Order: sequence, then structure tokens, then C-alpha cells
Amino acid sequence: METATAAAPALAVADLALSYDGSSPVLEGVSFSLPAGSSLCVLGPNGGGKTTLFRALTGELTPLRGRVDIDGRPAYLAQTERTRLDFPVSALDVALMGSLANGRWWLPARRSDRAAARGALARVGLEDRAEVRFGELSGGQRQRVLLARALVQDARVLLLDEPLAGIDPASRERIEALFRELRDEGRTLLVSTHDVDSARGFDRVVCLNQRQVAFGEPATALSRDALEQTYGDEIVVLDDEADGTFRAVTVQHHHH
Amino acid sequence: MILDYIRAVTLLAALPSPGDLVELPFMRTALIELTLLGVVGGLLGAWIVLRRLAFFAHAVGTATFPGLVVADATGFSATLAGLAVALGYAGGVERAGRATPADGGGDHGDVATALALVVALALGVVLASDVFESGAAVDRLLFGTALGLGGADLLVASGAAALALVATLLLGRAWTAVAFDGRGAGALGLPLRVADLLLLGLIAVAAVAALPAVGALLVASLFVVPAATARLLSRSVVGLLTISVGVAIAQGAVGLYVSLWLDVPPGPAVAVVGSSLYALVTLTRAALGGMTAPLPIAEAS
Amino acid sequence: MDLLEPLQSGIERRALLEVALLGGFCGALGYWIASFRLSYPAESLAHGLLPGLVVAALAGVPLLIGGVAGVAAAALAIAIAGRDPRIGSDTATAVAVTGMLGLGGLLALRPDAPARLEELLFGNPLGVTDGDLIAAAALALAGCAALVALHRPLAAVALDGAGAGALGVRPTLVRLALLGLLAAALAVAVQGLGSLLVLAVLVAPAVAVRGHVRSPGRAMVAAGATAIAAGIVGIYASHLLGTAAGASVALALCLAAAIGAGSRSVARPGRQAVATGESGGAPRSRASQ
Repeated sequence: METATAAAPALAVADLALSYDGSSPVLEGVSFSLPAGSSLCVLGPNGGGKTTLFRALTGELTPLRGRVDIDGRPAYLAQTERTRLDFPVSALDVALMGSLANGRWWLPARRSDRAAARGALARVGLEDRAEVRFGELSGGQRQRVLLARALVQDARVLLLDEPLAGIDPASRERIEALFRELRDEGRTLLVSTHDVDSARGFDRVVCLNQRQVAFGEPATALSRDALEQTYGDEIVVLDDEADGTFRAVTVQHHHH
Repeated sequence: MILDYIRAVTLLAALPSPGDLVELPFMRTALIELTLLGVVGGLLGAWIVLRRLAFFAHAVGTATFPGLVVADATGFSATLAGLAVALGYAGGVERAGRATPADGGGDHGDVATALALVVALALGVVLASDVFESGAAVDRLLFGTALGLGGADLLVASGAAALALVATLLLGRAWTAVAFDGRGAGALGLPLRVADLLLLGLIAVAAVAALPAVGALLVASLFVVPAATARLLSRSVVGLLTISVGVAIAQGAVGLYVSLWLDVPPGPAVAVVGSSLYALVTLTRAALGGMTAPLPIAEAS
Repeated sequence: MDLLEPLQSGIERRALLEVALLGGFCGALGYWIASFRLSYPAESLAHGLLPGLVVAALAGVPLLIGGVAGVAAAALAIAIAGRDPRIGSDTATAVAVTGMLGLGGLLALRPDAPARLEELLFGNPLGVTDGDLIAAAALALAGCAALVALHRPLAAVALDGAGAGALGVRPTLVRLALLGLLAAALAVAVQGLGSLLVLAVLVAPAVAVRGHVRSPGRAMVAAGATAIAAGIVGIYASHLLGTAAGASVALALCLAAAIGAGSRSVARPGRQAVATGESGGAPRSRASQ
């Protein structure tokens, strides 16, 4: 049960239903709201609707039903695709793309935008890699460059589609530290993931399996029942502590 | 001094003098036309290669063939006829979202387009040989001509070059962002649909400008091949654009020379020169860099 | 109209037989070409083999040999062009095909070259010799036998390549076999329809029967039959209307495809896209715009 907050939520979704063909929903019954400066873990199996939800939040997909209220234009870090690795752009070029959000995309980049891009790269720890080709960076570095782009865009809401998949542990930590910084600045992060364990570190969790199975703080949303409804028999639950907490491990194929 | 040397060598080898390209009036016109088209093809070609629109560029040229046959036989403006077909095709493709073979929807769109092109070609042939009995025009319309280029063609090519330049300056950033990460670019607020429409429309218009010189079948020789070669040699988008224009202009000039030498239409000559250059570059890189891309057995999708 | 009139002429009799033989085999093969999403490669090979045909025509060698050599050369050109991973396969194919088309045009359009380019581009079923017929019959028989033998592995791989592998069917080999059949089909069919139009006999019948037949086996037969029918209609139309034979056959095939595809959407109307409840255009509060 969410208590009403005095400030307007950064993101609010009400009774959202989404479909690709205009009639049969692939995701429905999604309702939640997030205050600014919070983080949401979007949990669910492949095909459960995580990416679909993100596409609706960016405006790419028009809802079948329901509404979306969002503060500003969200930044979107999609799952990395192979083709982008060949693209002849440097890390700085990518960060600079964030300035296209200021509306006048037909004009060349301003000096202030360039400075902002360099600053953003510095913030994510890549200022000495500014001229390196995007495809030549490591997975963790690429994610950080995309975060830099989001910073240049100055997005209040960030949508991250499995940002830590296939990233080495050292980069993971750096990225997770960045996430905490972004939240402290008042930005709202939505992170989709398979990894049930990591969900506990978030302010809120929403479980999706073609519908909203649960939403709330991790302690309540990650109940055994909710996890089983979300993952079906793809989940292995290991009773752990004497105090009744348990660990759950998802068993599924990761397609990266 | 060097020019005299070249002249002497080419005379001995019974080749035409390169000076003819500039001295003969019709060749001069053709050279200017191909240079202008090189600018267009080089600039737009960069986006075509980055956005995987090679098939579209080839198809939009081919699709105009029946329109050209009709225009040629009835005295109607070939440019207008070409524009009508090309823009219609571009609009249809954009609406169906089937600009590239890699788009979702996969083979259905592919197949429909391929069959549409067959229909266009077959219709054109029937119109040319049996309805209008202008069979001789078929070669010219499909492969281009150097002799038949006039002031109107130069005007159209200049317009296309100007358009391509302006569009690249204004839309280049947006097109780059969309090509790099379509979804992210959409999230940034770029009007994806408008950007796509403009690009497809521009390619259609530019292809029409190229039709008289290189023919309906070989539009890709200026719009895809130079940019592909440039892609092998460049490391940034700006570099790609620059090298692409340079290669396209050079290719056009050398191709025109070959067409003069062998007395063939410019289209085939430019195509052979261009693709040979591409082959040279890619094989050299392979030999030097030890590229290990596996030979592609046809992929299932 | 006297139905038997075209059969009086030896030329047209042979043309009818040729399109029937080719149509039967290529139509059936085309069903698999479409299922394996090979239409774009097929089209590229068809266009790319032009120089082979031109060289054969110039050298006075049977076009069949030119067709085979042409397909091999085209495949090699496409492979070379696609070596660098930065160039997508469709761009690379375009570069290769454009080069080959240009080469064919260059060789054929020289002033001293005999003017047969249009035949090579658009086909000439009426120019079929007895030798060509024998080659077509041999191809059709061998090819259909191969398709019958392969149709279960083909279906398994088309449905699920990875799963078929587990069943002991090797997807790579199956695909190679399919490509081999495609190459042979192109080399022979290109005499009747020409480099630019031959795709029609491969792809249009598959489009025509898609959605109308359930099993792959039946689809193959239906596609083959459709191709034969369309081919015969095309030759008759060309006889009646005095239009180019190859182009007429191609148009008849595409017409069949259009009819087949069109009647499918009439028989099963698409679902209505109705948004229920609150419309999707709900305003979204944004800081800017």
C-alpha cells in the first residue's frame, strides 16, 4: 500500500494495458507510482513485458488502455545490440547525442553541449576515453557512456533494460555506485533484470508476467507466491534462514 | 609535362586521351553531371550504408523503369514520371515499414518488394517492345547514357546536390543518432518517423536525378558502392561522408573515361569501376589486417 | 480463340513445355526458398549471374554453362564483398550485384557485341531449342526427386533449426543442398525468363499458395501447379496479345501471387484493432514540450 506523498510522483502508471497488434494485450493491469529519487526493479521472465513497458514509457508504444504520467522525457538505455558496435562514433559522440533532446536537433551541437558531454564522461570515469570508438570499449564502459548520454540529456527518469547483463563484476560495482549517485540527485531509475537477488537492493520492485503480479517494497513484493506467479517453474526457491527468508534463483536462458 | 606524357602513353595504347573528357562538349556535360551526382551519391550513400538502405536505393531506381518508358515514348517529362513513381514507392515502403530487409516482418515485405520490382521490369519491357515499340530505349533507360544528357539534367542534378548538402547539414546529427540507436533516439525526442520519411524521400528524389546518367538498374553504383568503400576506410561519420563524396566523384570520372574508351553507356562503367575499387580495398585490408570474417553461407534471416 | 493454335507451332510448343517443366520444379523449390527466407539471396544470385550469360552468349557457348558459371561467380563476388563485418550483408550484396550487373552491361553493350542483352535480361522462352528442353527436363526430374527426398528434413529445419539439429538433421547441410538446388534452378530457368525476371518463377508461386495450404508437401505441389498454370497462361497471353513471352510469363506469375495473397485476406479478415476503455492518447505530463 503506497502512502500518498506530498510531492508529485516522478512516474505514475495507471491501469496500463499494452499490445502490439492493437487488440490482444501482451501486458495489462500495470499500476504504480514512484517518487523522485527512487529506484524500481522491473522483474520478470523473458517475454513477460519488461521491454514492452519501457517502450510505452518512452512513448514508442501507444497504450491500449490506461495512462502514463512521467516527469520530462526519460532516457532509455536499451539492451545492447550487435550492430551498434560497428558504428563509427566515439564515446564523446555518443554522450553528445544526449543534447539532441533539447529540441533543436537540426542545429549543430553547441559548445556548452560539448562541455556538458565531456563533463558527463568525466562523471562516469571515462574522460580519458572520450575519443575511443564506442565499439572498442568494454561492455561496462559502454553502459557508462550510455549513462553519460542520459546525464547530458538531463533526464529525470532513466529506463535501463538489463544494464548489468554480461558486465564484469568490477564494472558492475562502478555502475551500481553511479546508480546510487543518480538517485541521490533526485533522478528516478527503472532497471529491468532477471536477477531476483539484486532486486532486494531497490526501493521498489514490480513483478511482471504479462500482467502486474506484485508491486511494492522488496520485502512485500518478493513473496514466494509472487515469485512463483512471475516465474512459474523457472524459479528454484531455496529455504535459507531460520527467520523464514529464502533465496530464489531463476533458471532460464539469457539471450544477450 | 606530365600531361604530355599521359597523352603519349594513352595514344600508344590506343586509349582515348583523358583530356577528351573536358574538351568534348558532350563529355564535359557528362563529367559535370557525374560530379554533381557524385556529391549526391556520396552524401546520401553514407546514410544509406549506415541505415542499411542499400536494397531500397537499388529498388527505388529500378521501380521507375516503366514510368520512364512511358515518359520516353510520350514525350512527358522523365524527371516528373520518375519522381511520381519513386516518391510513391518510398511512401509505400515507409508506411509498410519495410525499408530494409532486416526489418521486422522479415520475408513478407522482402518478397512483396522483390515481386513488385519484377512487375515493374516486366511491365516496362512489355510497354517498350510491344506497346510503344521503342525497344531501343530499354538499354538507355536501364543503363544510362552520356550522349543524351542536357541542361535540364544538369539542373536536376544540381538541385539534388544542393538538397543533399543542406539535408546532411541539418539532419545529419539526427540521422546519426537514429542509425546508432533508434530506440534511444526516439526516447531523446527525435521525430523518428519524420526523419525516416525525409531520408527515404530524399533518396528517391536523388535516385531520379541519377537515372539519365547511370540508368534505372545501376543507381546503387553511385549511391551505395562509393559509400561502402568509404565505410571501409573511415572511422567517423564525418570521415565517412567526406571519403564517400571523394570516392564517388573519382569513380564517376574514371567510369566516364572507361565508357568513352569502350563506347559503352556510363552506368555499367561506373559500376564496374566502383565495385572493383571496393573489392581492391576490402581484399587489401584482408591481406594486411588478416580479417577473419567467415564466408557467409546464406543466413536464414 | 483456338486453344490449340499455339500448339501448332513448334516454337510455342517447346516454349509451353519449357515453362511447364521449369514451373513445376521452380515453383516447388520456391516454396522452400520463401520458407528459408532466401528470396533476397535468390534475387541477388539471379541478377549477379548476368555476366556469365553474356560471356556465354559472346563465346557461342550454351547459355546453361553461362548460367552455372554466372551463379558461381556471383556467389564468389557476394562472399568477397561481405568479408568485412562493418559492411552489412545487404550492403555488401548490393555492391557485388551492382558490379556484376554493370559488368554484364559493359560486355554486352559494346558496339561490336551482338545485341542479345534484352534476351538475357528478360528471357526468351520462344528461343528454346530441343537441347534446352532436354536440360530442363533433366533438371526438373532430378530436382523434384531431390525435393521429395529432402522434404522432411527441409520442413524440420525450416521450423526450428536448432531443434532439428538435435534430431540428427544437420541444418548446414540441408541449407547447402537447398542452395545447390537454387543455383541449378537459376542456371536453367534464366534462359526462359532472363536474369531480371527469373525470381518470379521461384517466389510468386510460394506467395500465391501461402496461407491456402496446410502442409509443406501440399504447398510444394500447389506451388508447382500454380507455376505451371501461370506459365501456360503467360505463353498464351503472349501469343494472343503479341507481347514479349518472358515478360508475359513473369506477369502471369505475379498476378497469381497477387490473387493468392489477396484472396487469403478476404477469406480471413484481419482482426479489428479497437482500443477499449480510455484511449491511448492520454496526455503525458512533461517538463518540456
